[in-house]
Amino acid sequence: MSEDAILSLNGLVIGYDQPLVSPITLDVQEGEIIAILGPSGIGKTTLIRTIAGLVRPLDGDFDLRVKRRGGLGYIPQRLGLVRHATVAHNVSLGARLSVGWSKTMFKDRKERTLEAIRTLGIEEKVSEPVRRLSGGQQRRVATARTLAQRPQLMLADEFLGELDQTNVDIVLGAVHELVENGTAVIMVEHHEDNAKEFATRIWEIKDGQFIDMSIEQWTSNEATGEEE
Amino acid sequence: MKYRLFGIIFILFFLAWQTLDGLVEGNWGRLEGGLSNLAVFFEESMWPPNWSVLEARSYPVCEQEIEFFCSVGYLGMMETLKIAFVSTILGFIGAISLSSLAARNLMPLYISLPVRIFLSAVRSLPSLIWAILFVIVIGFGPLSGVLAMTFYTIGYLGKLQYEVFEGMANDPLEAGRAMGLSRPSIVFNIVIPENSNHLLSQIMFMFEYNVRHGTVIGIVGAGGIGYYINTYLKFLQYDKVFALLILIFIVVVLIDLLSLAVRSFVNEEGDVRKPTWLNMLLKARKKKSKSGDVA
Repeated sequence: MSEDAILSLNGLVIGYDQPLVSPITLDVQEGEIIAILGPSGIGKTTLIRTIAGLVRPLDGDFDLRVKRRGGLGYIPQRLGLVRHATVAHNVSLGARLSVGWSKTMFKDRKERTLEAIRTLGIEEKVSEPVRRLSGGQQRRVATARTLAQRPQLMLADEFLGELDQTNVDIVLGAVHELVENGTAVIMVEHHEDNAKEFATRIWEIKDGQFIDMSIEQWTSNEATGEEE
Repeated sequence: MKYRLFGIIFILFFLAWQTLDGLVEGNWGRLEGGLSNLAVFFEESMWPPNWSVLEARSYPVCEQEIEFFCSVGYLGMMETLKIAFVSTILGFIGAISLSSLAARNLMPLYISLPVRIFLSAVRSLPSLIWAILFVIVIGFGPLSGVLAMTFYTIGYLGKLQYEVFEGMANDPLEAGRAMGLSRPSIVFNIVIPENSNHLLSQIMFMFEYNVRHGTVIGIVGAGGIGYYINTYLKFLQYDKVFALLILIFIVVVLIDLLSLAVRSFVNEEGDVRKPTWLNMLLKARKKKSKSGDVA
């Protein structure tokens, strides 16, 4: 286990009643972008939820070396937005975690909220309730919330799914902004093309086996597989 | 599926009928002549409503320009509305603090269970009993009414609120928890805004309920229009009672309309509002003037 790793999984066994995947042992460093690939129902979401502290591991444990308050950014499959509240309110939930107590706290929160909203290009919708936005716009709001939060580790569950290329580019632009500041990203992804585009590392879950590899290894494996 | 539903409804109706038969001990003859008795009572004692309740009282002397503002109906109803308003607001604040502690998806069992038991205990006393208790402790007057209604509101609204909280989607809560938001922050920033529609609906329902029950607690001396209803009942002035009941009905309908308007701000149906005739005409005129400009 490396001491400077942001996340260490130590023989982690995930699942609800039955183990879904073989025990996982690995480290995640700052600035890594990891895509989790695999067919539906194989345990990708369970892995993300376990790391987020929402599901107890069946065995083993993990060290999450991030701030308790705001160190972890999480975008669930259904985005976890407050649908009846405005875009600004939702994004400010992230900002309130990244701005500490000070005299200028409220001003700083507002600035950070607006900055994230501008980056994601949703400034026109700032006062709209989230329920009135399209699916793509809602995903941008969820990303803006995480961007305003500036977490050390970001977990996202299939949040690029069903997005058109413009929205994918906007959202990934924001993710890269976070990564440049040292955030590690773990994303569940269904589309291998997207994974190829943004990931530096791949976790593949296949037939109950967990495979950890660099993007280069994975690309060459894919190429070999296609040739065969 | 359709037949099964009919079957269930039939069985439930049959059970209800059997239970009712047991309650009246098969003595259905009691109902005989009931309707005609009611008609006689209504015609001889209640009809027509005596609208003198909307005229100024003989004492104290009315100093208002409009007599209506010195009437029993206005003064009693205003006091009832004030009691209902204050107790709904105080009750809502008490209820929301307790219901967020009672919801199983927000708090662990060792906190939620005692709070639920407390809310059940508060709720198990009807508002009338609370009113009698406070009249004994504080004496006659609207303060007893306010306290009685507040306690009942806490118990009743508290249950409605924690049930709504428990029924909400889990993903915003999970996102908040994973991000590291504190429990109070989750309640204020996620739970309350997400359930604003239900909360507004409940607060308006409770206000209406408190107005209606304000009439009942007035009977035991806790202030409001009920005090006058009780007085008229004692003197067998049912026509005046009927006039006051009509007044209460009108106020309840107005509150319902107000509730509809308030909820439209957070209701999803409110997102697609039916155009009114006024804005349709205005738009049509705008379009016309635009086409005129082009020409």
